[in-house]
Amino acid sequence: MSSSLGESWTTENIDSAVALISQMAEELAFVVPDRDSGLLAINALTMDLEQLAELDGPTGFVAGVKVLRVWIDAILDGPVSFSADMIEKLGNWHGWMSSLLVALDQDVATPPLPADWSALLGGAPQAQATASQGSPSASAVVAPVAQPEEARPAASFVLDINADQELLREFFSESVELLQDIEQGVLVLEEKPGDKNTINSIFRAFHTFKGGAGFLHLAALGELAHELETLLDAVRKGELSINREIIDSILAGGDALKLFTREIGDQLDGVNPGAPISVPTQHILKRVRAALRGEAPAPASSAAVAVAKAAEPVPPAVVAKVPAAAPATVPPAVPACAPVVPVAAPVSVVAAPQPVAALVQVPVAKPAAAAESASAAEPTAKAPREGGSSTGGFVKLDTEKLDSLVNLVGELVIAQSMVVQNPDVQSINSLQLLRCLRQLSRVTTELQRNAMSLRMVPIRNLFQKMGRLVRDLGVSQNKQVHLVLEGEDTELDRNIVEKMGDPLIHMIRNSVDHGLEGPDERVANGKPAMGTVRLSASHQRGGIVIRIQDDGRGLNTDRILAKAIERGLVRPNAGLSESEIHSLIFLPGFSTAEAVTDLSGRGVGMDVVLGNIESLRGKVEIESVFGKGTTFTILLPLTLAIIDGLLVAVGEDRYIIPTLSVRESFRLRPGMVSTVHERGEMVTVRGKQTPLLRLGRFLGSTSKTTQAEDGIIVVVESGDTARGLLVDELIGKQEVVIKSLGPAFERQNLAAGGAVLGDGWVALILDVDTLVKLPIENRASVIHSQTGTHS
Amino acid sequence: MNTSTAASAPSSTHGLAGRYLTFSLGRDSYGVPVLNVREIIRLCPITPVPRMPAYVKGVINLRGTVIAVLDLRAKFEMPTVATGDRNCIIVVQIQGVGGGKTLMGAIVDAVEEVVNLAAGDIEPTPDFGGSPDVQYMLGVATIRGGVKTLLNIEKIFQEDGSLVLTPVSKPASSIEA
Repeated sequence: MSSSLGESWTTENIDSAVALISQMAEELAFVVPDRDSGLLAINALTMDLEQLAELDGPTGFVAGVKVLRVWIDAILDGPVSFSADMIEKLGNWHGWMSSLLVALDQDVATPPLPADWSALLGGAPQAQATASQGSPSASAVVAPVAQPEEARPAASFVLDINADQELLREFFSESVELLQDIEQGVLVLEEKPGDKNTINSIFRAFHTFKGGAGFLHLAALGELAHELETLLDAVRKGELSINREIIDSILAGGDALKLFTREIGDQLDGVNPGAPISVPTQHILKRVRAALRGEAPAPASSAAVAVAKAAEPVPPAVVAKVPAAAPATVPPAVPACAPVVPVAAPVSVVAAPQPVAALVQVPVAKPAAAAESASAAEPTAKAPREGGSSTGGFVKLDTEKLDSLVNLVGELVIAQSMVVQNPDVQSINSLQLLRCLRQLSRVTTELQRNAMSLRMVPIRNLFQKMGRLVRDLGVSQNKQVHLVLEGEDTELDRNIVEKMGDPLIHMIRNSVDHGLEGPDERVANGKPAMGTVRLSASHQRGGIVIRIQDDGRGLNTDRILAKAIERGLVRPNAGLSESEIHSLIFLPGFSTAEAVTDLSGRGVGMDVVLGNIESLRGKVEIESVFGKGTTFTILLPLTLAIIDGLLVAVGEDRYIIPTLSVRESFRLRPGMVSTVHERGEMVTVRGKQTPLLRLGRFLGSTSKTTQAEDGIIVVVESGDTARGLLVDELIGKQEVVIKSLGPAFERQNLAAGGAVLGDGWVALILDVDTLVKLPIENRASVIHSQTGTHS
Repeated sequence: MNTSTAASAPSSTHGLAGRYLTFSLGRDSYGVPVLNVREIIRLCPITPVPRMPAYVKGVINLRGTVIAVLDLRAKFEMPTVATGDRNCIIVVQIQGVGGGKTLMGAIVDAVEEVVNLAAGDIEPTPDFGGSPDVQYMLGVATIRGGVKTLLNIEKIFQEDGSLVLTPVSKPASSIEA
C-alpha cells in the first residue's frame, strides 16, 4: 500500500502488471460490439492497473493506464457498451501495453505512447497524488478480559476437567506449540550450538510452559520445565556449552512434557477424564540436573536466578491485566512494585521443587493468569506504548468457524453473481445500479480473497516436524542425514497442510530408510558420508510444488520391474519407459513387507501416499537416477475450495475448464486443422501440431459446431502434453466453488467436480488431465480409469 | 450385476413392515421405505454427465449441494416418455460403502402416497425367471387390491455395493446426435 517504492519498479511489480494485462486479454476476448459484457471486469482490471501505476510506475505505463481510464470512463458515462471502434482501440492498447511490459522487463527502450492517445491526456502525464488509503486510525484497544479466577488450593495430577476446561484447553494448545518450538530449536542447536537466538527462544519456551503448568498446579510438569529452563539459562549465560548430553536431555525432557500434554489433550477430548496422569519425570530430572552439574552453579542458586528471570517478562503482562480490575487505561509506568510482588510469588511457587499446596496464596489466581497468558498478552501490553498501532496481534480461531465462514463467502459469491446476471436486473438501464453492482462485485471479490487467505498457513510447521523425524531415523539407523528445508514460508490451504502430513512423513521416511545408504557404502561410492535430504516448497504455475530430494542410491528400475512382473502387475514384455517403471511403485500391491526389506525401492504404501495426494487434486512426479538419488515432486493446488474457471459452451451444455490448465484460446481460422492418418485431427498452435479433441462429439452433446472452423479452440495442458479442445463458445471466466459430485461419480475421471453457476445450474468442471491423456487415434472410445501418474 | 440375489430376497418379510412412499412408473406402482426419503422436489433442469450409463441423468443443484440423479424408467429398461407436470425427483439418503451418507435423486413419473404396511401385507419377491431386476426388490405388497413392488433403494443406487458408476465406453459415432 505504500505509495513509493523508490526509483524503478521491482520485477514483482512487472510480474503483477503482466498478470493483469493477460487477464485483460482474456476479458477482451469476450467483448462483443454493442454489448456491455466484460465491461465491469475490464473496469476492475483498470482499477488494479491504476493502483499498480501509483506505485511509482514507469512513465509510459502510467500514461498508458491513464489513456485506458479515459476510454473506460467514456464508455461508463456514455453508451455503457463497447463500440467496434473501441474494441479495436482496446486491442491495440493491449498490444502496445504488452510490448511495453516486455521492454520494461528486459530493460530496453519502451515503445512511445501513440500520439492520438497522448492527446487524450491533455496535460502533463505525471502521476497525481495518491491519497487513496486512509490510514487506519487504530485506537489502542486494551481489551482486558481477565476474569477473576477462584483459587484452588490443590496440587494433584488429577485434572479437574470440568472446572478448568477452558484453561486446560488453552494450556494444551499453547503447550503443543511451545513444545514444537523447543524441538525445532534443539535441531537448530545441533547445527549451530552457539546460536544465541535459538537458545533464548528455547529458554523462553520452557519458561512459558513452566508458567502455564504452575498456574494449573501441575507441579511435576512445572518442576521439569523449570530444571530445563535452568539448564538453558546456564547455557545462555555461557556457563555451560551445548553438548550432546544437553541436547538429548532437552529432547528427552521435551518428550516427557509432550507425553503429558497429549494426555491432557486426550482427557479434554473425553478419554478417561479425571484419570490420574503420571509421567515419569524423575530420571529425566536427574539427567538434566546431572547435565547442569558439570561446571554449573548449584541448582539452588540457579533456581534463584531463574526466579529473577522469571519475573522479568511478567510486568508487561501485568500492565495489561491489572487494568482489568482497575479503569481501562493505565500508563505503562504504573506497575512500580506493588503488582510485581504477587506475581513473583506464584512463579517462585513453581520454581521451588516442593509441594505446592502449602505455598498457594490468595493472590495466585489473577496474577498467575497474567503470567500464563504473558506471551499472548505481550503485544497488547506493548500497544499503548507504541502509540496505538494495532499491528502484529493474533487471534486463535476455531477452524470450524473459519471453514464455515469460507463456505458462506463462497455462497455469497454465487448469490452475488446470480443477482448480477439476473436478466431482470440486467434489463434495468441505470448507471446508479451499475455502479452499485460494480461495487458489490468488488467487495465480494475482496472478501473472498481475504477469506481464502485466512485459510492459508505457512507450511513451516509441517516441515519442522520432518526435522525431528529425520533426526530420529538417522540415529536409529546409524545414518548421517542432513535435512535441508527450503521455502518454509510458502503458504497453502490449511486443509491441504493437514492432509499432507502423513504422506510427507511416509515419503521422508522412505527417503531415509531406503533412499540413503549407510555412511560406509556412501563413502565407498565416492559420496560424502553425510546424506542429504532436501525438502522444499515453492509456488509454481499457480499451485504449490513440494519436492523431496535425496542423494541416495536412486530407484533400481530393473528390480522394480522384476518385482512388478513377479507380482503380475505388468506383462513381462510391456516395454515400459523408465518413468513408467518408476511410477510402478505407486501401484497398490507393489508395497509388501518383502518389497520393503528386499527391494531398494520405496514400496511402503506409496499407493496410499498417491491416493492421499490425488484426493487433494495433486500429482506426484518421480525423477531418479540410479546411484545418484531420487526426487519426488508433489504438485498441489493452492486451495481446495475454489478454482478459476473458463466457462465454455458445448452444444446446450456448459463446462468449466480450470484456467490453470488453459494455455490459450483462439478462434479457428481456415487451414489450421489438418488430419493425420485420417483419424486424428491436429491443429497448428504457434507452429506446433497439437492434437485436436472435438469436445462436443466426445462428450456426446449436440454440438452446433460441425465445422471446426466455426468453433473456438481452447489449448489445455497437463504436464508436458497439450491438446486443443474445440468448443462452441467461450461464455466467460469466473471463480467457482468446487462441489463434489459425490461418491456416485467417484470413479469416473471426466469431471473433476461440479460448480453451481449464477443461474443455479450445475456445470461440470472438466478434468483436463484425462482429456489430455486420451490416446489420440482412438480418443473417443477409451477412457482410462486411472489418473495421475499411473501408467 | 447378478450376484447375491439371495441377500436381497429375504426369506421372511418381517423386517419389511413400515411406512413406504409409493410412486408410479408407467402403469406399475412401487414403494420405497420412507426412512430413505429425504424430500420430493419438482423436476428441475439436470446437468448431464457425459459418458455415463443412460439411466444416470446427471446432477442437479439441491440448495447448494450437487447430487446425482437417476432415471428409474431407464434403470428398469422401460420406454422413455415425455416428462410432464407430475414428474418428480425423489431425493433419498443412502448409506455409502465408506459409511458416509449420500443424497441421490430418482426421477419417477408421479408420487402417490405414503402407506403403512404390516408384515402380513408383504410377500417375498416372486421369481421372474432370472430377471436381473429382482435384486432391487425387497418384496411385493398388496394394498387395496393394487400390487406395489417394494424397492431396495440402496441397492439400486449402490450397484452391487460399489456405489460407483463407471463410465461407458461408446464410440463417438454412436453418441453423436
